[in-house]
Formats: sequence, C-alpha cells, structure tokens
Amino acid sequence: MNSTVASEYSSEIHTTPIEHRFNPYSDNGGTVLGIAGKDFAVLAGDTRQVEGYSINSRYEQKIFNVGDDIVMTANGFAADGSALIDRFRNQLKWYKFDHNNKKLSVASSARYIRHLLYSKRFFPYYVSTLIAGLDDEGKGCVYSFDPVGSYEREQCRAGGAAASLIMPFLDNQVNFKNQYQPGSDGTEKKPLRYLELDEVLELVKDAFSSATERHIQVGDGLEIFIVTKEGVRTEYYPLKRD
Amino acid sequence: MAGLSFDNFQRNKFLVSKGFGQPMATSTGTTIVGCKFNGGVIIAADTRATAGSIVADKNCEKLHRLSPKIWCAGAGTAADTEMVTQLIASNLELHSLSQRRQPRVITALTLLKQHLFKYQGHLGAYLIVAGNDPTGAHLMSVQAHGSTDIGEYQSLGSGSLAAMAVLETGWKPNMTKEEAMKLCADAIESGIWNDLGSGSNVDLCVMEVGKDAELHRNYLTPNVRSEKLKSYKFDRGTTAVLRSSIHDVLDVEETVITFGNDAMEVDA
Amino acid sequence: MSDPSSINGGSALAMVGKDCVAIACDLRLGSQSLGLANNFEKIFKINDKVMMGLTGLASDVTTLHELFRFKNNLYELREERKIEPSTFANLVSSTLYEKRFGPWFTGPLVAGLDKHNKPFICGFDSIGCIDYAKDFVVSGTASDQLYGMCEGLYQPNLEPEDLFETISQSLLNAVDRDTLSGWGAIVYIITKDKVIKKVLRTRQD
Repeated sequence: MNSTVASEYSSEIHTTPIEHRFNPYSDNGGTVLGIAGKDFAVLAGDTRQVEGYSINSRYEQKIFNVGDDIVMTANGFAADGSALIDRFRNQLKWYKFDHNNKKLSVASSARYIRHLLYSKRFFPYYVSTLIAGLDDEGKGCVYSFDPVGSYEREQCRAGGAAASLIMPFLDNQVNFKNQYQPGSDGTEKKPLRYLELDEVLELVKDAFSSATERHIQVGDGLEIFIVTKEGVRTEYYPLKRD
Repeated sequence: MAGLSFDNFQRNKFLVSKGFGQPMATSTGTTIVGCKFNGGVIIAADTRATAGSIVADKNCEKLHRLSPKIWCAGAGTAADTEMVTQLIASNLELHSLSQRRQPRVITALTLLKQHLFKYQGHLGAYLIVAGNDPTGAHLMSVQAHGSTDIGEYQSLGSGSLAAMAVLETGWKPNMTKEEAMKLCADAIESGIWNDLGSGSNVDLCVMEVGKDAELHRNYLTPNVRSEKLKSYKFDRGTTAVLRSSIHDVLDVEETVITFGNDAMEVDA
Repeated sequence: MSDPSSINGGSALAMVGKDCVAIACDLRLGSQSLGLANNFEKIFKINDKVMMGLTGLASDVTTLHELFRFKNNLYELREERKIEPSTFANLVSSTLYEKRFGPWFTGPLVAGLDKHNKPFICGFDSIGCIDYAKDFVVSGTASDQLYGMCEGLYQPNLEPEDLFETISQSLLNAVDRDTLSGWGAIVYIITKDKVIKKVLRTRQD
C-alpha cells in the first residue's frame, strides 16, 4: 500500500499521496461584456465580488477609465486584474511623459497589453481582459484577450463567470446569428447593422439581468462605461442582490 | 426490484479509475431554519437549487411533509433529501396505521437517523425535523451521518451561519407565533442575501399545537425579476427549417352507455 | 471534460407556451472532439402527448430509452390508459434514484400535455432530483449556454409558431458556442391536436 492518509471510508483510501501546496489563485466571480457600435463602445460589468459562497463586496469597481478614452477591465482573479490594470495605467503615464503627451491608440494599447500578459506566460494573470474605445477612424472597438495575451478585435465579447451564458445571446442579438429573413426560406441572412446606443444599453441590461437570474456569482449592480467622441461616461443600475 | 441497485457502481468506479469524474448532482446549497414558539414550532427554507454555480431551480420546494403534522426542511443533495423524506413519510404512515396512533416526531427522527447512519453519510441529507404529536411540539435536526440535535432554534445548510446570526440575535423564550414567523423569515432572508448558495423566496410551515399544519409556500417573494426592457419575440420564419412533418393526434372519446331498467324494458 | 456525461456531447431543452409545449435537441454524437454521427436524436416519444429528452453518455441514453419504453409499455398494459406527464416524471425520478450509488450519466427532460391539455415540463439531475419549472428546462453539454439564451429570449404564453422560433433560436445559438453540441437540430411542438416535428438547418462545424 502506498496510501498516506487514512480516509473515513476504507474503500476511499487515497492511492496517491496528497499534495499540500500554496495556491496563488482564487476565483472572484463577476462577469463583463463589451460591445462596439458605429461611433461608440460600451464596457459593462457587474459590481459583485465573491469568494466561495460569500460576497466580499456588493460594489467593487472593476472597469476603469485608464486614460486616453480607453476603458479596461480584467475579470477573474481580482488581485491579478487590478495588478494588470495598474501596470497598464502606469505604463500609459510613462508613455505620455516620454512622447510629448501623445494619445495612445486603442490598437497600440491592445498590443501593449498582450506583452504585459505574455511576459507572465508561465505564471499568468488569471483574468479575461477586455478593452474598449474608439479606433483611428472614430468607430467603436472592443479588444478581448485570453490570460496569456492572445487577442482579437471584435464587435462584442463577454468575459468572466457568466460568459458562457451571455456570449450566445450576444451572437444572436448583436450579430444576428442564426436569424434569416422571414419568407426567404432560410436562404437570406438577416442583414447586419450597427445597433444604436440605446438599443445596446437595453441589450446589456437584459443580458445582465438574465445572467443574474441563473448565475450565483453575478448580481448586486451593473456599471456601464460608454465611450463616445465626447469622452467616457458611466451609468449604474441595480441588479438583484440574492 | 426493491431497494437500491448497485449494478452501475462497478462500471462507474472503473470509469473513475480511468480518470473520468462523477457528474454534478443538484445540491440544495441552502438556508433552512426551525424555531419553537409558545404553542408550536415553525420551519422555513429558501427556494434556490444549484448545480455548481448555476441556478438549476429558482423556486424549488425544500419543505417536505413527513406526516400531516410533521414536516421537515432539507439541505444537501437534493435527490437524497427528497427520496429519504418520501421513504420515511411512507414508513411513518404504515407505522401509525399499524399502531393506530398519531405519528410522533421522535419516531420520524429515529427512522431518519437509523436510515442515514446505515448509509454512513453517503446519503447527503441534512434535515430539520419539526412537528406536533400527542407529546407536544418538537424541533430536531439530523445530519447525513446520523447524528441528531434537539434545540429551541436551529439552522442548517450553506447559509446556516447567516441564518444563525439572526436567530442568535433575535431569539427569546416564549415567543408568539407571529414573532417566531418573523424571526424565521428574517433568518432565511439573511441566507438569501448573504449566502450565494441560497436565494429567491421564503417558504414557511407553521405547526401549532392542536391545529393543522399550515404551509406558507412563497411566504415572502423578495426576488421577483423585473420586466425585461425589450421583447425578444422573433418574426415567424426567422429560423431556417429543412423539413417538417405533422402527426395528428386522434382524441379517443369514451362514452359509457348505461342500460337502466327502464331502457331494458321491451314491449312484447 | 473527462466526465462521462460529456464524452459524446449533445444538448436538449423544453419550453412551455400557450396551451402547448416544445422540446428540442441537437443531433451530434461524438467521441470527445471527434464527430461520429449527425443523426443521433435525443428526444423520444412516450405517447402522443408526452415526450422525453435524454442527453449525456450515449450508451446510457439508448439504454434508458429502451428501459422507459419497456416501463411505459407495462404501465399501459396494466392501467389500460396513457401515462400522464407528471406520473411519467415520477417514474423517471425513481428509476434514476434506484441507481443512486452508480448513476446513469444522463440528464433527462420530460415535456407534455396532461389530460386537461395543461402544459407540463420538468428536468432531472443524474440521480433523479426533479426540477419542476414553469418556463423552460435545459440539459446537456451546452446547458450553461442554454440557460443564458432561454433566460434572455423566453417570454410566457407564446403561440406554437412563436414558441418554435424562440426555442429554435435558443438551441441554435447555444450549441454554436459549445464544441460538443450541434451538427443538426430537431424541434417538436406538442399541441392538443397535433405534434409538429421540424428539422432545422444549422451550422455543420
């Protein structure tokens, strides 16, 4: 026998030694989503932070205006998330010092964030990162990242605990996936169009109230950051608190 | 045929040894409480059932009837609380029929603990048992391994700490029925708001001595979803259909024709 | 991923409408990421007004379908009447719980109309805990996605034609975000006088 621990049940004696070691990560729940419009972009997230079955905070900001009309969030392990955002903010400050206060584009921010993430390839930031803003042509844009820096520009993306609940809903309602023109017998796709800001806000609120119903880590409040050519503004809506 | 079958046990143990995990059972990561008052006892529960971090049922029933005047609240593995409760309820009925006496709470508790002990904790049922019998009102609890407790007020489940905090602050001896109902509902609400495993509504059951038990299903509903901002009704013909077929259901109507004495009379 | 109920993949859901119910499933049968068949139906007819969905380990899906067909036949012979959906749900529950310590790796659904043509749906976990729902139930490897879709799209009292669109869009968009589901889909709409079966056109990746 190579068992090391006597279990309560003889049939459940572990045949492999149990490892005890420090686990540097934890899951703080929450969920975020970004949608790009014609001349605006939104980043939305719930404001609940959890650990296990407990609520750490009902209002913990996790989306930030990092400057230069770029909004950023890093959802997952909260400590890594804020560390990443702090690092990016700091680097952005230095970039402006060094380059005569030049405005950093969203595309360049995205490339830089990739390097921040990949530089910790073997001890990653445990987060799904989103940034949103306006591109060089003034169109809305959203960039999404995996924990080690693979990134992509997208029309919309959900991240975090309830990403799997929200993402298919966005596919359907933003990109009109699986929708065809009535009467075309399924031959003609429903034409794509940019959604207006008020349509997007309705969609975001409904997506979050739905996620709140079915995911225990989502709730308390919804904070939406809206980037337009006028700048960044925020809106807050209460969500269910159970 | 009767009892549990262990047919798949071997197969599944083999699969586990090959590195396949077990599927997730619905668990009632729950808040349940019970509290005695002057002239009876109350139990209460939240109504959320979870599978991992997903809410499987937003309005499930965690208050089970063991006999007309003995009810129990269940936490733990949802299927176990449901089935163990149904089994003991039916044994209790048979027992009271054969003894020609009303079932007692201590009998229900003993049947439960002996059954659960036999299964050495593998049946994940954590129950608060309460009710009236000829010896008075009782409040007890039983854990999955078979151990039991008796007390004036109790709480169980993942929200038991949140609920117990309220019970410890608010409880006093010789409460009225209304005071006890409020205390129990407040304790459950504390679990609903502060424990992620609990949520939705409050169910409550009042068992007053000398009266029928009254179940207040959805006694409080503090979590009604507000109207969505938009209708997501699709235009008909939005989905691409390859082919469709229709199966007509024929409703068979049966009419019973009675041959009364009058109808049978045949004139010669 | 290495859980037996997600080896073969597949998803199903059921919804309640106005005097009707709908039940739908995908058609994929796979072995991990390898697709094996695109004609594996997961919805089975119990009688004219009761249908069940079975997702999970394909061998258990087939075995349980046979078992429930057998048990339903015995019921119809003994009782000389069609089984009610709620009665059938309890039959499913006790059949699953019998295997409490060696469960079937499956997540069944039941949908139907009772003798007063009142809609009934319910879902189960693998050991037979019944989830009675008034709106919708989901099951399978895309269950998270289905919960998100249904919670977003569902509204009560849809006519059969509108319920078809809502359940189809819920299923289609959910399975497109699940690698183990898809490869075709089937929808059944059960009303008091007819059962409509529709085969959907879906992505084939």
